Amino acid sequence: MHFQFKDITYTLGFGQSRQVTVSGSIAAGEVLVVRGYSGSGKSTLLRILARLQPCDGGEAYLEGKSWLQIPGAVWRADVHYLAQKPALFDGTVAGNLAKPFETRLLSKKGLNPDQARAYMKKLLLGEDLWEQDARTLSGGEAARLAFVRALLIDPKVMLLDEPAAALDEESRRALHLTLSQWLEGPSRAALLVTHNNDYEGLHRVSFLDIGKQQRGE
Amino acid sequence: MENATIPISNFQLAFTVLLVLITGGISSFLKLGLLRPLIWGTIRTFIQLVLVGYALTYIFNINNLFLIIAVVTLMCYIASKTAVERTPNVPTYTTVLAFASLLASTFLVGSIVTVLIIAPEPWYSARIVIPIFGMILGNAMNGIAVSLDRLYSEARSGAALIEAMLTFGATPWEAIQASVREAVRAGMTPTINSLMVVGLVSLPGMMTGQILSGADPREAVRYQIVVMLMISAAVAIGCIILVGLSYKKLFTRDGALQQSIRQSKEGAL
Repeated sequence: MHFQFKDITYTLGFGQSRQVTVSGSIAAGEVLVVRGYSGSGKSTLLRILARLQPCDGGEAYLEGKSWLQIPGAVWRADVHYLAQKPALFDGTVAGNLAKPFETRLLSKKGLNPDQARAYMKKLLLGEDLWEQDARTLSGGEAARLAFVRALLIDPKVMLLDEPAAALDEESRRALHLTLSQWLEGPSRAALLVTHNNDYEGLHRVSFLDIGKQQRGE
Repeated sequence: MENATIPISNFQLAFTVLLVLITGGISSFLKLGLLRPLIWGTIRTFIQLVLVGYALTYIFNINNLFLIIAVVTLMCYIASKTAVERTPNVPTYTTVLAFASLLASTFLVGSIVTVLIIAPEPWYSARIVIPIFGMILGNAMNGIAVSLDRLYSEARSGAALIEAMLTFGATPWEAIQASVREAVRAGMTPTINSLMVVGLVSLPGMMTGQILSGADPREAVRYQIVVMLMISAAVAIGCIILVGLSYKKLFTRDGALQQSIRQSKEGAL
C-alpha cells in the first residue's frame, strides 16, 4: 500500500469536545476523497497526516514505512499538505514557485522553469503572470498558483484541502485533469477533502466518510 | 578637579516640591486623576534613590568583585522580568531565556568596556563597573523586549506562511527565518537610530551628568562614544541570543508550529 493510516485519533472542539478515530489507505495512483459534514474534522485529519499538528494516537505509513521512522521535515515534503487558503509569499509569481526550493531539503531538486510554465498553462494561468506580484492575484488564481507549486514539489502524497473551492467550472476541470495526469506518474497518491462531491474528472477514486465511520463505532 | 560638582543641600532639594506642585497643579486642573500616582511616585523616587545612593556608596567602598557580580546578576534578573512582563502573550518561561541573554550580552560587552577600554585600577572598580553595566542593561532590556514582542507577533500573523514553509520540508529555522530577522531588526533599530541623532537632538543623560559634575565636555564626549557603541553591541547580542533561544519554543519537538501560535492569531482577529 502506498499510503496508509491506522486509528488516527484526535479531539475536535473545545467545549463539547469529542474524539474521532479514522483509518484509511490509498494505493499508488489513487485518490481518496474524504467526505463529511462541515466541522467533522476533515481538515484536521489532513493536517495531522501532514504532521502539522499532533494527534492523540495512531500511526501513518508512507510506502510501508512508519512516520516514526521518518524525520518531520522529510515527511512534510513527501506528504505535502495544500491549505485551503493559499499561502503566498511577498514577491512575484515566479518567486513563489521557487520558494520551496529554498529549503535545504528541496534545494538540490531546484525549480524547473519549463515545467512550471507548462503546469501554469494547464491550469489556465497566463504566461504574463510570471513576473506579476503574487499579492495582486485573484482568489482563484492564487489557489491555482499554490496548486502548481505543490505539483512542482512533486510529493509522494498530496493532501488537498478543497483545492477547487475558489475556482470556476472551467478551472476546476483543469485542476482535476492536471491532478489525474499527475497521479499517473510513479508512486503518487492524493487525499482530497471536498465539500460538494467535487471530484469530477478524477479516476480511481475511493471514499472515506468521516462522520459515518465515527457513528458506526 | 577644579570645577567639581556643586552639591545640592537638603534645603535646596526641598525646593523640588515646587516642581511637584506644578505637575500636581496641571493634573488636578485637568482632572487627570494622576495626583495619587504622582505623590506616590514622588515618595518612591526619593526613597528608592536615597537607598540606592547609600547602597552604591557601600558597594563602592567595599569594592568586592563577588559583590559586584552578585549585584549585576540581580540587576539582570530584574531587567529580564521587566522585559518579559512588558510583552503580553509571551509564555512565562521566556524570563529564563531573557535572563540568559541579558547576562551574556551585559557581561560580554561590559567586560570589554571596563577591562579593555576604560581600564580602571583595579579593573573591577565598582565605581566604573556598576554604572556601565547598568547602562548596558537598561538598553539591552528595551531591545530584547521589543524583539521578543515582534517575534511572537510576526509568528502569529505569519503562521500560514510558516506552515507553508514546513510543507516544503523546511526546518523550523528555515520556516521562521523571516520572522527572526524582523524581530532582531526591530530590537536593534532604535539603538542604531539613536547613533544618528545623538548630540543633535538631545545630550545623553550620562554625558549631561558628567558635564554637570564638572567634567570637560570633550572628555564627556569620549565616554559617550564608548557608551553608545557598547549599547548597540549589547542590544545586538541580547536580541540575537534571546530570539535564537526563543524561536525553537514556537515549534513542537516534531518541528511543527505550536498550535497555540496558530490559533491565537485567529482568536485575535
